[in-house]
Amino acid sequence: MNPEDEELYPIAVLIDELRHDDVSLRLNAIKRLNTIALALGPQRTRDELIPFLDESIDDEDEVLLALAGELGDFVEYVGGAQFAHILLQPLENLAAVEETMVRDKAVESLNKICPALNQTQLEQYYIPLLKRLTLGDWFTSRTSATGLYACGYPLASPASQDDMRKSFGQLCTDDTPMVRRAAATHLGTFAKKLSKEHLISDMIPLFNKLAQDEQDSVRLLTVTDLVAVAEELSPEECKTYFLQTLKAMVADKSWRVRYMIADNFVKLSKAVGEDITREDLVGAFVRLLKDNEAEVRTAASGQVPGFAQLVDRETILNYILPCVKDLVTDTSQHVRAALAMKISGLAPILGKEATTEQLLPLFLQLLKDEFPDVRLNIISKLETVNQVIGIELLSQSLLPAIVELAEDKQWRVRLAIIDYIPLLATQLGVAFFDEKLGALCMSWLGDSVFSIREAATINLRKLTEVFGVDWAKQTIIPKVLAMGTHPNYLYRMTTIFAITAMAPAVTPEVIRDYILPTVTNLVSDPIPNIRFNVAKSIEALIPVLLQNPDTKPLVDQQLKPALTKLSEDSDNDVRFFSQKALLAAV
Amino acid sequence: MGSDLDRQIETLLECKIITEAEVKELCLKAREILVEESNVQRVDAPVTVCGDIHGQFHDLKKLFEVGGECPKTNYLFMGDFVDRGHHSVETFLLLLALKVRYPDRITLIRGNHESRQITKVYGFYDECFQKFGSANVWRYCCEIFDYLSLSAIIDDRIFCVHGGLSPSINTIDQIRTIDRMQEVPHNGAMCDLLWSDPDPDACTGWGLSPRGAGFLFGESVAKPFLHNNGLELIARAHQLVMEGYKLMFDDTVVTVWSAPNYCYRCGNVAAILEIDSNLTKNYTIFTDSDRNSTNSRMNPQREGPPDYFL
Repeated sequence: MNPEDEELYPIAVLIDELRHDDVSLRLNAIKRLNTIALALGPQRTRDELIPFLDESIDDEDEVLLALAGELGDFVEYVGGAQFAHILLQPLENLAAVEETMVRDKAVESLNKICPALNQTQLEQYYIPLLKRLTLGDWFTSRTSATGLYACGYPLASPASQDDMRKSFGQLCTDDTPMVRRAAATHLGTFAKKLSKEHLISDMIPLFNKLAQDEQDSVRLLTVTDLVAVAEELSPEECKTYFLQTLKAMVADKSWRVRYMIADNFVKLSKAVGEDITREDLVGAFVRLLKDNEAEVRTAASGQVPGFAQLVDRETILNYILPCVKDLVTDTSQHVRAALAMKISGLAPILGKEATTEQLLPLFLQLLKDEFPDVRLNIISKLETVNQVIGIELLSQSLLPAIVELAEDKQWRVRLAIIDYIPLLATQLGVAFFDEKLGALCMSWLGDSVFSIREAATINLRKLTEVFGVDWAKQTIIPKVLAMGTHPNYLYRMTTIFAITAMAPAVTPEVIRDYILPTVTNLVSDPIPNIRFNVAKSIEALIPVLLQNPDTKPLVDQQLKPALTKLSEDSDNDVRFFSQKALLAAV
Repeated sequence: MGSDLDRQIETLLECKIITEAEVKELCLKAREILVEESNVQRVDAPVTVCGDIHGQFHDLKKLFEVGGECPKTNYLFMGDFVDRGHHSVETFLLLLALKVRYPDRITLIRGNHESRQITKVYGFYDECFQKFGSANVWRYCCEIFDYLSLSAIIDDRIFCVHGGLSPSINTIDQIRTIDRMQEVPHNGAMCDLLWSDPDPDACTGWGLSPRGAGFLFGESVAKPFLHNNGLELIARAHQLVMEGYKLMFDDTVVTVWSAPNYCYRCGNVAAILEIDSNLTKNYTIFTDSDRNSTNSRMNPQREGPPDYFL
């Protein structure tokens, strides 16, 4: 093969693969485009590869999508920024195809390339491209155009900027809702690139028009624009330009629009500033919390603590809290679940006294909710309340409810309670713990759900860390070991798991005096699952025994012989895990 | 044992796919193991018996949370791993990888959906094509389907099969003589084992199945079969049970269903049957994972259900 042919070889393979009937081969070729471009060098990439890609546009969306993505990172392969405009042509075509994912990817890539262009390239190539897409016959190209204004605007000449604002305005009043939706999606980002003067003169009228669009799918997208534009304006200006629109949106006849407002309420409030929030938004927020649609109330419930931070205490107590009280008994479980997730966030804002008086009764009610997600959500956030009112008060008022939940039918609820036990233990002290929760912790070891049994063993280790080895020796270890002779193998399994879990928290002496006899007994258990978990357990015990010179010899005297015996077991997995433990013990 | 396999299991547990080449190799290894298994695979108690999964991967993970992960717990899955759910590929490959890694800890038997014809219609084929860009993975898996055992027997006392009994089968030994290495036929013993249903109204013993394959079998068939073969229970799957499991015919037949909120819309709970070393039976119920639930109207990003749903 002469050098010329050798050089041509990669492109030949590529062209072959790009034309192959098999989509996966075409796809593969596209993903290797950069390798090919590197082999060709910048000149031939510009002169041959890019035109080829542009001409032979594929009909398989998957391939087009990959191509649109690759071209975004292609500037270096065509010879750097000064040639970046070469890539615009194929991407323009891709930005006009029917499949949304391909178009979006092409727009994303154009956004990547645009900053690399200098002003001449921009005026000569990018702006004409933008014009063609904006005036395209099909909504597809006009939709794509909306996403290309923001990145081109800052570098364009003042005359072009004037044009761009005008043509963006055309897109905002396009006949097809798809284009208006796209315009509403990108208005916020574009507006942020404008001077304040142009923002007020050009963008706000467009925003107001979209915010009153006949289609609710367009109106709901303007909520994020509102946040973006308001961030650029002073509170006074916000009041002048937005207050009316905002109030109209809170009362929109479509729940989807109200949902968007509710979901973004904290962001909106922050963007329009303290004064408007206090004077005009409290009423709006209350209205959303009382909305007819459960979805809207769910979204608004999620904003409660965030909004409470922006208003004064009196407002919370007089306006927000009464709504929250109603929501605790809302007919929709999803509203109650959302509230349960967020309500504890009010505790730090209200302080100890108000939390105890006002919030604790609500927590209790939610803890008894018939829907498990509600109970789960409130438990998982108790930590926040604990920090405000202290564990003592919390446990006094909530302990009965917690004990009840520890036997909940839903195992996820039981699991959440177990995770909370070590913290409770730290605060309650040994005596109180033994009396109220000790039996419970042991009962979880016999739960019908595996994850609960597993969590229960880890809980025992944490409790040993809290109350000390002597306590463990007297209270939990005897009970755990007693289960090691239970006729049901699941109990014996739990014994082994508990021993493995607790090993790092106990002393070498405890292992020697209490745990080893049980472990060596279980080495000859009839169930192979027990035997290979014994091997794993021994692997965990060895490092602890090695810590003390008195117990160190036990490793060679008892544990290694046990592992050796297990490594000759009839069961494959027992052999595997004991050999693994033996290797670790060397 | 290869750490490659352990890594593949990790990947699959995250609901991510492995490469086509890895699937091919996995299937070759699985074939070596499965070819050695009997049509009536012997299984020792303790073991946890599970019914249909149907590609509901996140619910399978929940099953492992409730029952314990493999190999800590021994499992017997009674078929219908694929079709209908969004993650048939990940579900079947995970179970297969576990089978290869821990052949003595997990048993897989064939369901009526483990067939070329059925998977072409009910989703597994499309899913393979969509996720790998070619049908090769589907082909490898279908080949493995032919190797899957047809039934299992726990401690010589509990007979496990996907569908039920067949009029052409009176003794367990007759099952052992079937040549199973083939696509599920449209009739005959092999077809019936995978397609039949128990029916309280089948008073003459056998009835025509509305499914168009297999038969309906009554109490007067089930009890003599158990007696003649020295068995105490038939455990099977194949039918949706809202309560997760259902005992019939004086507790001689049980249906176990392990796909909660079947097809992401049926609202049923699922069950697993835990059998301990003394053959004591314990049923544990579980509900769908959070990923399966459909409670918010405002969540358009959910993967749209394909059109073969119900």
